[in-house]
Amino acid sequence: MLVLLIVVALAAVACSVDQPAGMAAADAVDPTADGDLLRTVRERGRLVCGVSGTRVIFSETRPDGSVVGVDADYCRVVAAAVFGDAEAVEFVSLTTGERFTALHTGVIDVLIRSTTWTQSRDTELGLDFGPVIYYDGQQLMARAGDGFTPTSGVADIAGAVVCALAGTTTEQNVSDAADAAGIDITVTTFEDFDQITENFIQGACDVVTADGSALAGRKAKQQPDDQEWVIFPATPISKEPLAPVYPQNQSRFGDVVNWAVYATIIADEKGITQANVDAMAADPPDAETARLLGASDDEQQSNMGLAPDAFRQAISQVGNYGEILGRHLEPAGLTRAGSINASWRDGGLIYAPPAR
Amino acid sequence: MTATMGDPAAGAGPVEPWDGEREPAQKPEEPSLSAGEWLGRNLFSSPVNSLLTVVFSLLVLLAVRGLLNFTFSEERTWRAVKTNMRFLFTHAYPQDQYARIWVCVGAIAVLSGLSVGLLARVGRGISMKKLSMNLMATGGVIALGIVLREPSAIVDDEGVALHRDVSAVAGGGSFAGWLDANAFTVLAVLVLANVALALWFHLQGTYLRGGPEPRTAHGALVLVSVGVLIVQQYATGEVVRESFADAMSDRAWWWLAAAVLVGGGAALWLGLGDARRRNTFVPAMYVFFVGSGLMVLSAWVYPWGHYGFLEGEFINEPGRTVAMTTKLPWTVMLVLLVATYELGRVLRAAGAGPKLRVPLNLLWVLTPFVLYWAVLRDPDLDWDHVLSTDLPMAVFFAAFGGVVVWFLAHPRIGEAGRVMAAVLVAVAALNWVAAYFGWYPMLQKARISFLLLAVVALLAHNFAGDRSQRLKLVAAWVATMAVFHWLVTLVNSPSTVDTPTDALIGGFGITLIVAVFTLLLAFPMGVLLALARTSKLPIFRVLSTAYIEVFRGVPLITVLFFFTLIFNLFLPDNMTLVDIAGATIGFALFSAAYLAENVRGGLQAVRRGQYEASDAVGFTTVQRTLFIVLPQALRVSIPPLVGQVIATFKETSLLAIVGIFDFLRIADKVISAQSEFLGVKREGLLFVSFIYWIFAYNMSKHSQRLEKRLGVGER
Repeated sequence: MLVLLIVVALAAVACSVDQPAGMAAADAVDPTADGDLLRTVRERGRLVCGVSGTRVIFSETRPDGSVVGVDADYCRVVAAAVFGDAEAVEFVSLTTGERFTALHTGVIDVLIRSTTWTQSRDTELGLDFGPVIYYDGQQLMARAGDGFTPTSGVADIAGAVVCALAGTTTEQNVSDAADAAGIDITVTTFEDFDQITENFIQGACDVVTADGSALAGRKAKQQPDDQEWVIFPATPISKEPLAPVYPQNQSRFGDVVNWAVYATIIADEKGITQANVDAMAADPPDAETARLLGASDDEQQSNMGLAPDAFRQAISQVGNYGEILGRHLEPAGLTRAGSINASWRDGGLIYAPPAR
Repeated sequence: MTATMGDPAAGAGPVEPWDGEREPAQKPEEPSLSAGEWLGRNLFSSPVNSLLTVVFSLLVLLAVRGLLNFTFSEERTWRAVKTNMRFLFTHAYPQDQYARIWVCVGAIAVLSGLSVGLLARVGRGISMKKLSMNLMATGGVIALGIVLREPSAIVDDEGVALHRDVSAVAGGGSFAGWLDANAFTVLAVLVLANVALALWFHLQGTYLRGGPEPRTAHGALVLVSVGVLIVQQYATGEVVRESFADAMSDRAWWWLAAAVLVGGGAALWLGLGDARRRNTFVPAMYVFFVGSGLMVLSAWVYPWGHYGFLEGEFINEPGRTVAMTTKLPWTVMLVLLVATYELGRVLRAAGAGPKLRVPLNLLWVLTPFVLYWAVLRDPDLDWDHVLSTDLPMAVFFAAFGGVVVWFLAHPRIGEAGRVMAAVLVAVAALNWVAAYFGWYPMLQKARISFLLLAVVALLAHNFAGDRSQRLKLVAAWVATMAVFHWLVTLVNSPSTVDTPTDALIGGFGITLIVAVFTLLLAFPMGVLLALARTSKLPIFRVLSTAYIEVFRGVPLITVLFFFTLIFNLFLPDNMTLVDIAGATIGFALFSAAYLAENVRGGLQAVRRGQYEASDAVGFTTVQRTLFIVLPQALRVSIPPLVGQVIATFKETSLLAIVGIFDFLRIADKVISAQSEFLGVKREGLLFVSFIYWIFAYNMSKHSQRLEKRLGVGER
């Protein structure tokens, strides 16, 4: 009987050795294997999308495990373009430390995780960036009770204790900004933004600094009744263009991601919404709309390896740029109008190349 | 603290025989001490002891008060934990498939019930004395908790806590307000007063001999200290709190529970005489059943509240009992547990215990695999492939291997057996070489089956015996092949359970799965490594030593990062190691090194005479190791092994760092990032620690019982 136990134990070892191989059969993802990532994704039948899962506005995990936010919606947009089904996404939650490794090792197809597009990441890391989805920027937040207003500047925080996340560029940025303004500040770092918020509420931090979107989210949810928080300066102290990331030299897949994003922006410019996209496709107001929605013969989606109505599906199932941003920004107390994330026609930076 | 719990008679009892079935040797009858005498002898035996008792009791009270005030404060958002309960335990596992989770829990309940009922030596159980003392202590702690807890804040119509006029407090309006402002000073004065009083009595030489007055005085001072702690509750902070009377009357349910517990305990205590209290026993399982029965009952009766998240909507109904999807399954689980326990007792009484022992243990080993692959994943079997390939292959290996084992286990096979085994080993090795060079295609499981067969063939002559012995071996081989091929077929089929994320299950589920599979892998590995390290063959010794020292020298987190992130870069192009499998392998390799050292300690404790004796009766090395050395070595190493098991269980929280949604990460990072519960973190962490504690504590209790049963430390 002992033999039996030992043999079973051996079988257990053997099983587990076999397990990765077995699972690999279902999860085999390697951008270089067959060369074309778009084909790999298509054969697998779902898009594996890297998100944060712990960032309000961009991707937060709900109590049933579903992921919502701007980043999550763009994963759905890409899935809808590739498969015609916005739900054909598998979300992988990644920490800042592992996000690029996950992309390199092929664990994920595309990284839409509020990642700032920088020169070193684009070149040194061997990754490619898609179009910017959200123009963020580092700002400061302080208590109105301490005499700060939305028009305050960096020079006004002289002598303050500024709290920032450890190991991020925010710490460096705020020090640089203080040096440039010729003031002295004390920078204290924390491992966790919840700790920072708590210290800020209790007064141990005079000023907190992070990306504007994160600060707005905190202000909307955590500002106590007896405090008034203000976010400034109006022009952020750093540029944080957040864009999707995909492996280098994957032009076909890259084009799909890029044009899925552009399609939502063009739809926003033309007023094509989730509600009216079917009507628009049936009766296109202009040639570009017809091409974009696959309603005319000179559409370009077939050349990209997509279905002609790929973008129509994306807009109908997820929405256009304004709808996606609006539904996640508003609860956090942010507005798109008047910000740099407005359309270029309204003085913002959101602009897409023409679809022709 | 010098205070030792329990009366001297219990501590000095005779050593129990390791088989709890036998009647315990007669205890010398010694009447128990009265409560006053017990206190005097254990807690207040000298001024120093009294001081330690007082100071540490105050510290404990302060800690308890802090914990209670933290847990029940109005500032806590426990709704975050309650709403995310499902999320914490199973992550994104779909709700409509939840019956599968309950099937798993139910299977474990059935196995536990059977095992405990059938195999556990029940022993004497819990004495009435201990039971009544525990009941009264629990009731007392609940009552103390009600009194020590900060009273609720008074809120306005919108639910916002009212704030008092700060200047009034600073001006010292009430005694409580003054106390709150000077809490630290008052406490310091009280502690100093205790010290001074004890010293004074000591110098007077009246502490123990001078009658009850000194101790009464000291006791009064202790009560005053506790009173100060309680009064201070009613002025803490700037929030207006309910009055003492309201705070006491609002907790009627808890008072009732405390009264029932204290009353029940006291009734038991007084109803039985001293001798009967100590010599009447109830089985521990029944106490457990009654306790969990009451908890399940409370789910049906008490309005714990109904919280959840369904199809994008929050459920928030504080005044209701818990959801039917929670209380019904737990009721079923309890009924299953009780029923299977009773079934186990009946079977045991019928004498089936020894026969069912091995099958039951085997079931425990197989259950994790079966539950994970057959129930949790629900594999979508390709029946054509199963019938055309999987089934014939399993039948072939079962038959072929059965014949091989039958021949090789023949007592007079001699050299021919070794040659045959060597040929099989060569074939198995050739298969792997062929796979590497791509000479001829063969399914992975065929290669593993060949390897298993080769190993068994090598070992077979150690188990040579008569006809029935060989039949048993063949049966074991056929069963192994059946299970192995079945499991591998399940593993290679896709799952029909559809989750929105990459992980099929997360939260506490992943913690358990990783811990269980880690131990299943690490245990045999650890034993083999320990044997190799103590082997006479230099190659085994060197390899095993190198392995152990490398893995013990590298931080666990490095091993984890390697296997979850970096290992994929070394794999062939079409292979990816999913992070959970990678993490499990990393954990297993790491724990195996530590387990090996624990087992090696046990191996060294086996005396030389045991080796010589087994040589004298003509055992082969394998037989000696399996039947003589390992059983003794493993028994000795139970305490460190269990320590390692608990450590591994808790180390799974490192999964959070490599980005897997384990129990800790959900509480720490994910819930606090949900827009409704932004920044709500401490509640989740406290809850998670509590669950970890329950499991780790149970494991350690179980190991204590095991040690007692096997008599570790007594031989």
